[in-house]
Amino acid sequence: MFRSNNVTARIFERQISSPAPGTSVHCARRFYENIVPCHTIFDIECPDILFRKFSDDGQYLITFSRNHQDLVVYRPTWLSYSCREQDCPDHDLPSKANKFESFFTQLYSVTLACSGELICKDFFLYSEKNQFGIFASSTAQIHDAPAVGGAIQGIPSIEKITFHLVRLEDGVILDERVFCNDYINLAHSMGVFLYDDLVAIVSLRYQRIHILQIRDSGNLVDVRSIGEYCREDDELFLNSSTQCMSIPGRNRNHNVGNGPDHTNQMPEGSFLSGLKQRLLSFIFRGIWNEEDDPTMRMQCLKKKFYFHFQDYADLVIWKVQFLDRHHLLIKFGSVDGGVARNTDNHPAFFAVYNMETTEIISFYQNSADELYTLFELFCDHFHSSSKNSFYMNFLSTHSNNIHALEQLRCNKNKASSLPQFVKKMLSTLPFNCQSQSPSPYFDHSLFRYDDKLISATDRHRQSTDHPIKFISRRQPNILKFKIKPGPESGNADTRTKKISSFLFHPILPLAISVQQTLFLQPAVMKILKRI
Amino acid sequence: MLGSWPSFDPHNFSQFKPNDPANPSKMTPVTYRPTHDRTLPPPDQVIAPEAKNILLRHFYQPAEEKLRSKRAPCDNPSPERASKLPRPSASDNSI
Repeated sequence: MFRSNNVTARIFERQISSPAPGTSVHCARRFYENIVPCHTIFDIECPDILFRKFSDDGQYLITFSRNHQDLVVYRPTWLSYSCREQDCPDHDLPSKANKFESFFTQLYSVTLACSGELICKDFFLYSEKNQFGIFASSTAQIHDAPAVGGAIQGIPSIEKITFHLVRLEDGVILDERVFCNDYINLAHSMGVFLYDDLVAIVSLRYQRIHILQIRDSGNLVDVRSIGEYCREDDELFLNSSTQCMSIPGRNRNHNVGNGPDHTNQMPEGSFLSGLKQRLLSFIFRGIWNEEDDPTMRMQCLKKKFYFHFQDYADLVIWKVQFLDRHHLLIKFGSVDGGVARNTDNHPAFFAVYNMETTEIISFYQNSADELYTLFELFCDHFHSSSKNSFYMNFLSTHSNNIHALEQLRCNKNKASSLPQFVKKMLSTLPFNCQSQSPSPYFDHSLFRYDDKLISATDRHRQSTDHPIKFISRRQPNILKFKIKPGPESGNADTRTKKISSFLFHPILPLAISVQQTLFLQPAVMKILKRI
Repeated sequence: MLGSWPSFDPHNFSQFKPNDPANPSKMTPVTYRPTHDRTLPPPDQVIAPEAKNILLRHFYQPAEEKLRSKRAPCDNPSPERASKLPRPSASDNSI
């Protein structure tokens, strides 16, 4: 690693020595200690748009129009300026250095939502390989929707949800996938997970996990639908069996087609869904294998399985993520918790499911110490990133960074109750897809910052008036740069609750800070950059 | 070229003959031939990368341990699984 903190000395050192094996990215990242976004531009006139995020390769800035109907994509650029005078450092930058258009070039604006629909402003998934973006638009939610056609009681319904696959290079909408009278958690992409070219969409209302594939041509292709059925031919088998059974009553209407219509053939609740059956039999076999003595075995089963049978049978899928191309981590819970904002008080369970063998591999409760140990040791593998995405392999987590691990251990020791702490940590699983910013400024080995005020996790936070400081790790007490979320002159109105969001470019020393109130006042936007 | 450089011992590079491009060296490196077959791989060995990442291996571990403990009283005690076994690797590119 470098012997000096001076950037010129580091560049010379880089010329003559090569980094230790496997550390080339970490070595290159050290330069971010020297190049920080220390200059703030405020009072910027920017178009009336809602900022979403930078794409993970830094090629695009994704924004939506204020009316939630259009997608507006910008290309981040970088100004260059040269000065040949004697007193260059004292010169002010030209006025165009303070303009939004100097940093972001609009590529196109494309309408995604038809009338009656609104684009979900928190939803965006990026496929780096082909530079495709997935967006979602939906109509309004209906809260007391009746549970028809196999739907679960208690889950709201949305008349139409559309997923759009857009080629970000030119804004062409390549494909769409529509879900009608369904409910998918779109906020912060919670109900959808993208891994490589596979997309998992969780239909909470019909308790299905739809697996789709994004082809290179831009088509969305159905791969399988897990929930009611596990294997691709389960539906065919069950339909042919029920047809054989009901031959004497042929006058009744038999509708052998895809979709929820065919479930009307069987009386409601006669069969548990395929995934539920796998889960219950896994739990049963686990308890069966614990005891060899038949009497003890029966007692264990009565106590641990049959007593809770209805609770297990009533579990619903809340959230899903890929662990690799074949394995899913599924979170189960009660119906009330599926749509609740705060799920801390609801019991939850985790299951690892192999899509190919259709087997449940393991099952844990949300207070399980074994699962927490795996979370502490192998957090990186829960942030499953595909091989295509280079920068996402270098996220700073408590499994790969000593400082983050110390922080976690500190929080664990401070926690009043260990089971509560375990539940709180495991409630972050399954992770939201692409929710972590790959920016090196969030690397814990480079900078120290207050996790409660800002972090790599992409979410809105309550704004403070104090600036958020980024302090160098290697040189303690040296402030490298700071972000002041609100207006430069301070907030006139301190009573209104304000929320801030920060968009860091993954590569350039460029960040956007947006502060807004809950009412529709214009947002305060700032750009931080390196001069 | 190297002959005139300072050196601790003036005899250090006395045997050194710089390569003459007009007269290429005819030396070929000696090939190592093993004198025994103790280290030969089994003829049907296929080395394949582990398809599951370490997290998934930990998820599979309790299930495999239970299976092993169930089999042990029935079959002959089998030796510890070698780390390289012929095993079909799940192709990552196929669905």
